[in-house]
Amino acid sequence: MIEFRSVTVTYPDGTVGLDDITLDIPAGQFVVVVGLSGAGKSTLIRSVNGLVPVTNGELVVDGSAVHGAKGRALRRLRARVGMIFQSFNLVKRSSVLTNVLVGRLHATGFLRSMLGWFRASDKQLAFEALDRVGILEKAYNRASALSGGQQQRVAIARVLAQQPSVILADEPVASLDPPTAHMVMRDLQRINRELGITTIVNLHFLDLAREFGDRIIGMRDGKVVFDGSGVQADDAVFERIYGRSLTNEDVLGADDVEAAPVSLTSDPDAAAR
Amino acid sequence: MSASTAPARRAITPPKRPLPSWRLPVGLAAVVAITVWAGISIEFTLTPLITDIGRGEPVVRGFLDPNWLFIFRVWDAWLETIAIAIIASLVGNAIALVLAFLASPVTNPITPFQKTMKAVMAVVRSLPDVAYGLIFVAAVGVGSLAGILALIMFNIGVCAKLTAETIDAVDPGPIEAADASGASLARRARFAVLPQALPGYLSYSLYVFELNLRASVVLGFVGAGGIGSTIRVELSRFSYENLSAIIIALFVIVFALDAFSRWLRKKLI
Amino acid sequence: MSTITPPRAPGRSFTPPPAPSKLRETIGMLAVTLVFALAVVLADANWPRLLEAPAVLGEFVVLMTQGVLQNPLEAPTNEYWTRSLELMIESLHIAWIGTLIGAILSFPLGFLAARNVAPPGVVVVVRQILNAIRAIPEIIFAIAIMLPIFGLGPLAGALAIGVNSVGTLGKLTSEAIESIDTGPVESARASGASRWQVIRYAMVPQVMPEVVAYWLYRFEINIRASAILGVLGAGGIGSILSALFNIRAWDRIGVTLAVIIIVTLIIDAISGSIRHRIIHGAAPRGVRRRRALTPEPPPV
Ligand SMILES: Nc1ncnc2c1ncn2[C@@H]1O[C@H](COP(=O)(O)OP(=O)(O)OP(=O)(O)O)[C@@H](O)[C@H]1O
Ligand SMILES: [Mg+2]
Repeated sequence: MIEFRSVTVTYPDGTVGLDDITLDIPAGQFVVVVGLSGAGKSTLIRSVNGLVPVTNGELVVDGSAVHGAKGRALRRLRARVGMIFQSFNLVKRSSVLTNVLVGRLHATGFLRSMLGWFRASDKQLAFEALDRVGILEKAYNRASALSGGQQQRVAIARVLAQQPSVILADEPVASLDPPTAHMVMRDLQRINRELGITTIVNLHFLDLAREFGDRIIGMRDGKVVFDGSGVQADDAVFERIYGRSLTNEDVLGADDVEAAPVSLTSDPDAAAR
Repeated sequence: MSASTAPARRAITPPKRPLPSWRLPVGLAAVVAITVWAGISIEFTLTPLITDIGRGEPVVRGFLDPNWLFIFRVWDAWLETIAIAIIASLVGNAIALVLAFLASPVTNPITPFQKTMKAVMAVVRSLPDVAYGLIFVAAVGVGSLAGILALIMFNIGVCAKLTAETIDAVDPGPIEAADASGASLARRARFAVLPQALPGYLSYSLYVFELNLRASVVLGFVGAGGIGSTIRVELSRFSYENLSAIIIALFVIVFALDAFSRWLRKKLI
Repeated sequence: MSTITPPRAPGRSFTPPPAPSKLRETIGMLAVTLVFALAVVLADANWPRLLEAPAVLGEFVVLMTQGVLQNPLEAPTNEYWTRSLELMIESLHIAWIGTLIGAILSFPLGFLAARNVAPPGVVVVVRQILNAIRAIPEIIFAIAIMLPIFGLGPLAGALAIGVNSVGTLGKLTSEAIESIDTGPVESARASGASRWQVIRYAMVPQVMPEVVAYWLYRFEINIRASAILGVLGAGGIGSILSALFNIRAWDRIGVTLAVIIIVTLIIDAISGSIRHRIIHGAAPRGVRRRRALTPEPPPV
C-alpha cells in the first residue's frame, strides 16, 4: 500500500529529515510512529502526501508515485490520502459542515466549489462522516464553538468525507486531555477496522502507542531504529528508541473513561470533566 | 480499497438546517438597495470610458511629455508646501497629544470633562480639510497661513483620535504601580502612560506628516498656498505638460518622504 | 567599557553609574527646532494676521451659530437645511460608489500582493502599483484622469475616489491575507484542493471580517474625500460650500457645516459599531470571543 524505497528527504536548509528509509506498509494496517522530537516523524508522514517533497528514492502510495508528482497528479494523490493535524486546522469561522466539505473539494468542479453549491451526494457523505464520529447534530455550528475533542472529530470527519485509502495523523491527540485523547484514538482505530483504511499515526505517548498500534515504528535522527508489533515494543525497546530512560512524561496516563461503557456519540468533553 | 467498500451503515437523517441569521440577508439587501439608489443618483455609467476615451487623449499626450523644467521654475511653491506641512504637523501633533490625554479616561478621571473632549475631537474630525481651508482663507486671507491653520485642525482630528485610542489600551500595570506609590495625576500620565503611548504617537505623527503633503495639494485649490495653488493655475490653463511634471515630482517627494519616515520610525521606536 | 568597578564594601558611599548620554536627544531636539524655524521663514505666511484671527473667527462663529439657531421650519432657513442635506446625501452616494469600486478592484489585487498567494515577481509589481496609487492625492485622479473623460460631476468624483481607495485597501487586504492562520490552508491542500479552492475555503473566510471592516473604514474616509472633490465641481456638499464662502453667506455656511458634522458623526457611529460587531462578534453571551483588540488601520 505504502512503499518507501530508500527515501531521503533533505530540507532546503540542508537538514536531513529522512535518511534512506525503506518501509512497506500493507493495506489496512494501523501503524504508530514514535520517536523523540526532531526524529523525523512529521517528515515521514508528510512525505506520504507530498507536503514534504522526497529528494531521493521512491515513494509509492496506493500504486501511484509520490516522488516527483506535481500539480494535478499530486492533488489526485492527495485526495486519496487524508491528513489530521495536531492543531485541527479547521477554518474557525466556517460551519462544521463546510469544514467537512473541504474533504469533497477534490471531487467538486471549479464553478460549483466557488459558488459553494455542493452536490447532494457530497453533502450526504459529509453527514455520514459526521455521524460516524458522533457529532452530526453540530453540523451547522461554527467550528470555533466546539471543544478541542469535537474539533478534532470534525477534522476526522473531513478526512472520512474524502473517502481516502490512507489516513495520516500527525500527533492528533497532543492538544487534548487524556480521556479525550483516548476517545479520538479509538475513533481512529474503529475507522481503521471498519473501513479498512491504512492509518499512520505519530504519537508521543508510549502507552497509547502500545494500545493502538498494530505495528510500531521507532525513529531516531531520520532513521528507522525499531519496527515491530506493539507486544514486542517493551520499555527496553522504547529506551533504545529514545536513547534515554523513560519518564512519566512519556506516558499519557490513566484512561479513566476506559472502565465506563462508552458510546461514541456521547460528548467526550463532558466525560472528561 | 477505498472507503466506499465499507459495510452499509444505517440510514442517517441529517439535522435540520437552522434558519440562517436575518442579519446577513438584510445587510446584503441594504447594501444592494443603497448601491442602486446611489448609482442612480450620481448617474453611474461606464460608457464614457468607451465613447469618450478620446477626450482624454490631449491630457494623456500632455502627461506623456512632462515639462521637467517647470518643476524647478516653481521651486518656491514646493518649499512653501513642505514648510506648511512641517509647521502644521509639529503644531498639530503637539496639540493632539495634549488633547488625547484629556480625552482618555485612563488619564482624565473627570468624566464629564473627558467625555466633552472626546466629543470635541469627534466634531473636529468630522469636518473635511477643505472646509477648514475655506474657513481660514476667509479669516486670514489667501496664502499659506490659511493652509497651515487648516492642516493643524486636520492633524488634530487624525492624530488625537488615534493617540487617545492608544492611551485607552495601555497596560494598566504601570499605572497601578504609579498609583500605589502615590503619584499625582500629572506624574502618572508622564511616567506611566506617556512611555507606553509614545511609540504609537510618534508613528501617527510621521504618518500625519505624509498625509499633510497630499492634503496641502487640496488646500491649494481653495487658496491656501503651496503647490496646490500652482496646480490649480496650470489646470485652468490646460497645460498638462506642466501638470504632469508637478505630479511626477510630487510622487517622487511622497515616495522619498515615505522612505525617510520609515527610516525615522525605525530609529525612534 | 573598560572600567570595572571593584565590589563595594557595605556602608561605603558609592558613585551611581553615569547617566546615559542625552546627546542624541539634545541633537534631535535642536534639529527639530531648527527645521521648524526654517519652515516658519520659508512658509511665506502672513504671520501678523494670526493675531487678528481669533477675533475674526469668533465673529464667524457667532454669525454661523445665528444661522444654525434660526427656526429651521421657516423660510429661508428650511430651504438651507433641506438643500444641504440633499447635497450631503449626494456626497454619501459618491463616497459609497467610490468605496464599492475600491473594494471590488482591491480585493483581487490584495491577493496578488500577498506573499503567501502570488509568486514573488507579481507581488513586487502589484505592491508598487498600490504604493503609487496611494501616493497620488485623489484630487489629481479627478482632475487628470476622470474629468476629461467623464466630465464635471459626481460620477467623476466617485471614480476618482474609487481608484484612489484601491491603494490603501489593496495594501491592507494583502496584509490581512499574509497574517492568516496557515493551518487550514495546509489541511485544504492536503485533501487535494486546487489553488482556487484553497483561496475560497481556507483564506477568504479567514480574512473576510477584517477586509469588510477596512471597507467600512474607507467609506468613512471617502465621505470626507467626496467633500473635497465637490470643491472642484464634482458634485456633493463641497460644491455648495465653496460657492457659499465666495458670497460669505455665514448663516448658510453654519447650517451646511452643521449638516456635514451631524451626518458624518452619525455615519461614523453606525459604521464603527458594524465594524466592531464584525470583528469582535455579537454581544457577549458567554460564548468564547476573540479577546485581542483589533487596532484600527491607519486612516489613509
Ligand atoms: N521546514 C523545515 N525546514 C528545515 N528543517 C526542518 C523543517 N521541518 C523539519 N525540519 C527538521 O527536520 C528534522 C525532523 O523534523 P520533524 O518535524 O520531522 O520531527 P518530529 O519527529 O516530527 O518532531 P516533533 O516530535 O517535535 O514534531 C528536525 O531536525 C527538524 O529541525
Ligand atoms: Mg512533528
